[in-house]
Amino acid sequence: MNFPLPDFFPASAEIFVLVMACVVLLADLFKSERQGWLPYLLTLATLAGALAIQVGTAGADTTLTFSGMFVDDRLSDVLKSCLYITVFAVVVYSRDYLMARGLERGEYYLLVLFATLGMQVMISANHFLTLYLGLELLSLAIYALVALDRESARSTEAAMKYFVLGALASGLLLYGMSMIYGATGTLEISAIARKLSDPATNMDVLRFGLVFLVAGLAFKIGVVPFHMWIPDVYHGAPTAITLLIGSAPKLAGFSMAIRLLVDGLPTLAVEWQQMLMMLAVLSIALGNVVAIAQTNVKRMLAYSTISHMGFMLLGLVSGVIELRASGDIQLSYAFGSAMFYTIAYVLMSAAAFGVLLLLTRAGVEAETLDDLKGLNRRSPWFAAVLMMVMFSMAGIPFFIGFFAKLAVLQAVVAAGYLYTAVFAVMLSLIGAFFYLRVVKLMYFDEPLDTAPLVASSEMRALLSVNALAIAVIGLMPQSLLTLCATALGQAMK
Amino acid sequence: MLIEYFPILLFILIGIGFGFVPMIAGKLVGPSKPDPEKLSPYECGFEAFEDTRMKFDVRYYLVAILFILFDLEIAFLFPWAIVLEEIGMFGFVAMMIFLGILVVGFIYEWKKGALDWE
Amino acid sequence: MDFQTAVFYFLSTILVVASLRVITARNPVHAALYLVLSFFTAGGVWMLLRAEFLAIALVLVYVGAVMVLFLFVVMMLDINIERLREGFWANLVPGLIVAGLMLAEMFAVLGAKYFSAGAAPAPEAPAMDYSNTKELGRLIYTEYVYPFELASVILLVAIIAAIALTMRKRKDTKFQEPAKQIAVRREDRVRLVSMPAEKE
Repeated sequence: MNFPLPDFFPASAEIFVLVMACVVLLADLFKSERQGWLPYLLTLATLAGALAIQVGTAGADTTLTFSGMFVDDRLSDVLKSCLYITVFAVVVYSRDYLMARGLERGEYYLLVLFATLGMQVMISANHFLTLYLGLELLSLAIYALVALDRESARSTEAAMKYFVLGALASGLLLYGMSMIYGATGTLEISAIARKLSDPATNMDVLRFGLVFLVAGLAFKIGVVPFHMWIPDVYHGAPTAITLLIGSAPKLAGFSMAIRLLVDGLPTLAVEWQQMLMMLAVLSIALGNVVAIAQTNVKRMLAYSTISHMGFMLLGLVSGVIELRASGDIQLSYAFGSAMFYTIAYVLMSAAAFGVLLLLTRAGVEAETLDDLKGLNRRSPWFAAVLMMVMFSMAGIPFFIGFFAKLAVLQAVVAAGYLYTAVFAVMLSLIGAFFYLRVVKLMYFDEPLDTAPLVASSEMRALLSVNALAIAVIGLMPQSLLTLCATALGQAMK
Repeated sequence: MLIEYFPILLFILIGIGFGFVPMIAGKLVGPSKPDPEKLSPYECGFEAFEDTRMKFDVRYYLVAILFILFDLEIAFLFPWAIVLEEIGMFGFVAMMIFLGILVVGFIYEWKKGALDWE
Repeated sequence: MDFQTAVFYFLSTILVVASLRVITARNPVHAALYLVLSFFTAGGVWMLLRAEFLAIALVLVYVGAVMVLFLFVVMMLDINIERLREGFWANLVPGLIVAGLMLAEMFAVLGAKYFSAGAAPAPEAPAMDYSNTKELGRLIYTEYVYPFELASVILLVAIIAAIALTMRKRKDTKFQEPAKQIAVRREDRVRLVSMPAEKE
């Protein structure tokens, strides 16, 4: 039979990353001893090339390909471009740390590239099957990365916890997907949205499936009450891997939430917005309060991650999905604010863990608050960088974090949830304590470790650019905000 | 279609019977008078020096995992083989890409020495 | 009750009992073997649903490969079963309450209203030359080719992860590699250094 050839053009970035990952694998196998830099440079070249291809193939309209399983729209272009930049920064920041610990093996670069491929597939997924396969590809690569340090019992324990809980959450997600398939008869996300307006579909079974779907999603994003794995995994994994899992997968998690809930189940918005509201409020409360008690910076950042993801969910909760008379679905501004928050969070998280990586060298881990003491004496510029990141995370004007929180809170108030907004602001104030404590330690305490910072020049340069991005985009957030809003505002047919 | 699998069901039932009947017959007919001396392990008349278990070698685990992965590859090859004439060149190339990616994995494990026993 | 229904009840009973024994067995090897039994019976149930390829793949892949791996791991870890079972009876009651609640809620939603034999009639029996495997094959390599290739990438990642995490070279064995011995080049063994002549 003559099967029509699918259009490979929108998926060029994925195909490029896959081919280059195989090239990196073969290069790592057949390289000589003196060419240790080869996988590193090839990985960076892959990410840069993927960014170039993505920007080059970006079109203004939505394209579906591969039998409706792959969608290429504005949202996927923006998120994937941020993804490549983030993973590029992660690889550059991590190199010194990994080399000092003997972990800089070809496998690291390969697993990072495959995790990137998994995230690309998730962001462009228009079908439950591809969404799930991308999620599993990402998760499998990350389980292996967390356990990469074989000699460390703590890393192995963190990997075990992550794996067991992650497998359970994938099971919940699949169960929900199978229920929704049973109710609608299709797995394709845009087809499911169309089926929902058909009165013959079984709403009870759909709602039942939705619960499991939200449970699986909440685990992957890391919000209360599915947050248990986050502090242990962030703490136990090598800091370079914590940098990876704390930044890039949040973009994929946001995309998963949008595709599953907003694109896939828009008429059930009342139900899933209620569920997400509860998750968001609990996360903001728990993340901000428990982080105060932490002495380990990685755990503290893990709990702050939980609270930031709660804020991102608040943005999703306050969005209004209108079904216009023409059958199109129009999304309100709130979803754009959630996207802006996600991108801002990824920038801040990458910079925070980057500074932590800067402080480590062979045999010295910089994990506890004591290691940050007196950073201003050792390196004034990087103390300023970490100060900018901490202020931004706390939501202090005029960094990007402030505008992200402001945009989300504006959306929340516009949707009518005034008390929620007040609650979120109060908890952010409480939470600002632990961010400001870091700043106080850096500037007003004596350093315990007076050795100078050892880091490669490209890492310092990129980290500085990262911090400047936090400051500069904070001064001019409009362009990124409108980009997010238009990316999400494309009416769905 | 299911009627074609009936012989297999019969085969399974007879297999279960073959397994159970001698065991039950032995339990019913044979004498059973256990005794501590009779139940203890025999080591040429001595008491056992140490536990009989050996430290399990992780190489078996690696071999088993690699077997699973190539077994899954074979499972995908089965339906492809019977519909090849219908799916034409497109299906052929799709499978070749699948096999190609796994051949890259095969080269990797070969070069890394995962296939060497020593 | 016709023959198919009788077979279904027979297989399902064994499946449920075996699954229960997996979690309650004292010896971990016994638990793994009960899991093998439950996979076999689940394969039988799928065969009754006319998913013949999936049933055979379940037995081939799960029982043939995954359970072998399970048994290897169970043998590899010296599990002290007594310590693991310590909190069993104390934790059983809250566990049963939570599980019972979930089950009750699931029944309420999925009860007879939507999933009874009347609401979901059995599909008509297919023709005699229907081959489930062929139908799957027609779809996987054409319409679902994108997930198919993704599956191969996941398998590749599994290969890399397994080798990165578990491969250890035995340090005490010494052996010669004739291929390397023959492939040696002069430059690897001899290096000429130019030095000024020294007096005396």
